[in-house]
Amino acid sequence: MLLTVFMYTAITAFVFFSLRKAWQYAHNPLANRWELYPVPGEPGARRRHGGSYYEEAEWWTSPRQVSRIGQYKEMLKEMLFMKSLFINRKRFWTFSYAMHLGIYVLGLFTLFLLAGAATEMFGMRVASLDGVSSHPWAAFVYFATAVAGFSGAFLTACGSASLLVYRVSDKALRKYTAGDEYFNLFFILTAAVSGLVAWSTDPGFNYSRGVVIAMLSFTPVRSGVALMAHLLIFGALLIYIPRTKMSHYIGKYFAYHKVLWDNEPNLKGSALERIVEKNLANRPQDGWSSPHTKSTGAEES
Amino acid sequence: MDKLRPRDISRPSSEQLVSLDQLMPLPPPYDRPGMEPGLKPVKDAWRETYCTSLDGIVGNDRLKRPGSKAEEEEFIKKFLNGLDKLFSKETNSGFLTPFLLAFEYCARCGVCSEACHIFRASGGKEVYRPLFRSDTLRRLYKSYKKRGSLAARFAGGDIDINVEALLRLGEMAYRCNLCRRCAQTCPLGLDNSVITREIRALFSMEMGMAPTLLHERGTVLQLKTGSSTGMNKDAFLDNIEFIEEDIYERFGKKYKFPIDKKGADILLIHNAGEILSWPDNPAAFAILFEEAGLDWTMSSELAGYDGVNYGVWYDDAQMGKIALAQRRAARELGVRRIAIGECGHAHRAAAVSSDRLAVGEDNIPRESSFPILQDIVRSGAIKFDPLRNNFPVTLHDPCNIVRSMGVVMPQRRILRALCPQFREMAPHGVKNYCCGGGGGFAVMRSMNFSEWEMKVAARMKFKQILEAFQDKIEDPAVPKYICAPCSNCKSAFRDMLDYYQATARFNVRYGGIAELMVNSMAMFERPYFGWLETGN
Repeated sequence: MLLTVFMYTAITAFVFFSLRKAWQYAHNPLANRWELYPVPGEPGARRRHGGSYYEEAEWWTSPRQVSRIGQYKEMLKEMLFMKSLFINRKRFWTFSYAMHLGIYVLGLFTLFLLAGAATEMFGMRVASLDGVSSHPWAAFVYFATAVAGFSGAFLTACGSASLLVYRVSDKALRKYTAGDEYFNLFFILTAAVSGLVAWSTDPGFNYSRGVVIAMLSFTPVRSGVALMAHLLIFGALLIYIPRTKMSHYIGKYFAYHKVLWDNEPNLKGSALERIVEKNLANRPQDGWSSPHTKSTGAEES
Repeated sequence: MDKLRPRDISRPSSEQLVSLDQLMPLPPPYDRPGMEPGLKPVKDAWRETYCTSLDGIVGNDRLKRPGSKAEEEEFIKKFLNGLDKLFSKETNSGFLTPFLLAFEYCARCGVCSEACHIFRASGGKEVYRPLFRSDTLRRLYKSYKKRGSLAARFAGGDIDINVEALLRLGEMAYRCNLCRRCAQTCPLGLDNSVITREIRALFSMEMGMAPTLLHERGTVLQLKTGSSTGMNKDAFLDNIEFIEEDIYERFGKKYKFPIDKKGADILLIHNAGEILSWPDNPAAFAILFEEAGLDWTMSSELAGYDGVNYGVWYDDAQMGKIALAQRRAARELGVRRIAIGECGHAHRAAAVSSDRLAVGEDNIPRESSFPILQDIVRSGAIKFDPLRNNFPVTLHDPCNIVRSMGVVMPQRRILRALCPQFREMAPHGVKNYCCGGGGGFAVMRSMNFSEWEMKVAARMKFKQILEAFQDKIEDPAVPKYICAPCSNCKSAFRDMLDYYQATARFNVRYGGIAELMVNSMAMFERPYFGWLETGN
């Protein structure tokens, strides 16, 4: 039962600390504009050459156009393919993408595990001692789980291991990589390798499915030593990630949407202007020590 | 690659961390020996007073060595106080989000390095790597917060916080043009330039240490006299009168600048440096606006005739005060809109950086003058003869106008229409390289800083120019024109062409876009550019 509680704690901690980080960024004061072109929210041809509404005379007299499709396209390219890194450093991308793709596939694996667990809880066996169920859905879930689980862990392990080696062997990277960054990669590698070890004793992930069933029914988890070790490492990693820079799944959202792509103009009478007004009213005037920061400018004239 | 690491910034002052040898080679004809001036040696007096232990250059002349142990302690204490303020909602509200993101999430992949023109032009000197600067601040902060513990070292907090480290950090903040090209390549969307700017802000707003020409003789002077040039209202009016007379003498037609015209449609704000150093530019605007029949004015009130706002580079307080002074000048005239002349950082300061600093009556729409100029060409209100500009022309993209504001095409459409031999630099548009004068460098003149600016910061742009004109570069009979629609960029080009003697040797010229437009106006018999008539 302790393992069930631990896994719930780990998942809760991951969600809680991630949300807390997002909440902290979301509640920072409204930042000065710091956009960077190209901004994918700009429509059509303007987006392609990196232009903005400032390319039109009296731009504020035209209706504001924001291309959500442009934003989503750019987001997906970045999230699914890590476009920036691919364009600017292919070797790094190969290693980093292997690891990230592995993590995405492991996300898919989790969904298949959930589907398998739900299938079994509704009375249909996915696999038994006799082999895989002959039912098409159960067979699909079984094989999809097996393929996603193995390939996800394998890619994650290969990616994190190669990133570790790359950071150690590349002179420039080695100078800037701190101990905690090596540790982060090592932690991910350990979790992935422990997952592969557990898989080697249970290639169909039947015990893993059993863990999910136990968690969904809140009953004690039954697992062998390898799976238990993996669950402990994986749970610890879930607790650890949101407290580190590995939580860039949050940071990246704010970096793009609230900084680089945020070119929303403060038009007179707009909702943004009311936020700006409130923000300006709350700004303390006496924070910095240098005398010129205390003056309003009028006395300098 | 040198072996330098961020923690080496704590080394004793006797060790200069990098020397400026083996820079990026330049293309022909500057690949020949003797074409490039050498670097003058550092004076001993500078070493004693300022921080030359980074690279032998003094960028910030207010960053002086503390004289005693007590002063050293006070220096460190003030810096750490300021460091805390960068992380506070109360004291850093305007920049907290971009700063924290860049500070917290950098994966140290180093992708930004190859995008940096300074790092590449220097031949890959470690102290100019964007990551070196930002990581130094991160490591300093961790060392400070975790007090040298094992945990601190594990997280990278391995810097010994001493005066030399802080002095070098203060100098490093002035080895970045804030061009933001590196941010375009960051896989996490982070911006090293915001960290550089925040280091500058800390030194200025907490310690009162900003370069004299940016602060005392920059923003402070602007708030006192009306212009960072020191030009007060009377001098401004005198200069405008002089420009009016000059146009009449050269072209036989009287143009009256409509100063302080209440209720005008457009308030045109130039960089006041144009009025003093390149009066042909405001003159060209006046000719174009008058001939196109626009309802426009210029203000003679405080800051209303100078669009510069050096605060964007180093100080939030100064940035806000100047932006508001400019808005008030517009409000008092009751204009409908503000148009910014050819000045990159004035564009960004007025339209973008200060956008969320004003509300209500001060919230007057601001725009670039480029779309207005483009509309003049498109409208047919003025007859142009492109053959008058029949010489090689290339366009420099000011970072603040292009990368930070998204004004890319209007200036190109004008040049494509009016300059038959227009050719682009590579790369251009939002991927352009800085002129080397960005982030205040075109203004700063302390000790040997200009020499560094020309040799390192402007090197990539000079290379681009040589490449753009490669087919005609060695023919001095052919004038070659760099269109630089930004006052600070022009200042950098003036110094660059002088430093490399590119005008004297190869007839490479520079100027704005309005001048090119007037030069091709069919109604004038003489060319607008004097050098087309005289060759000088």
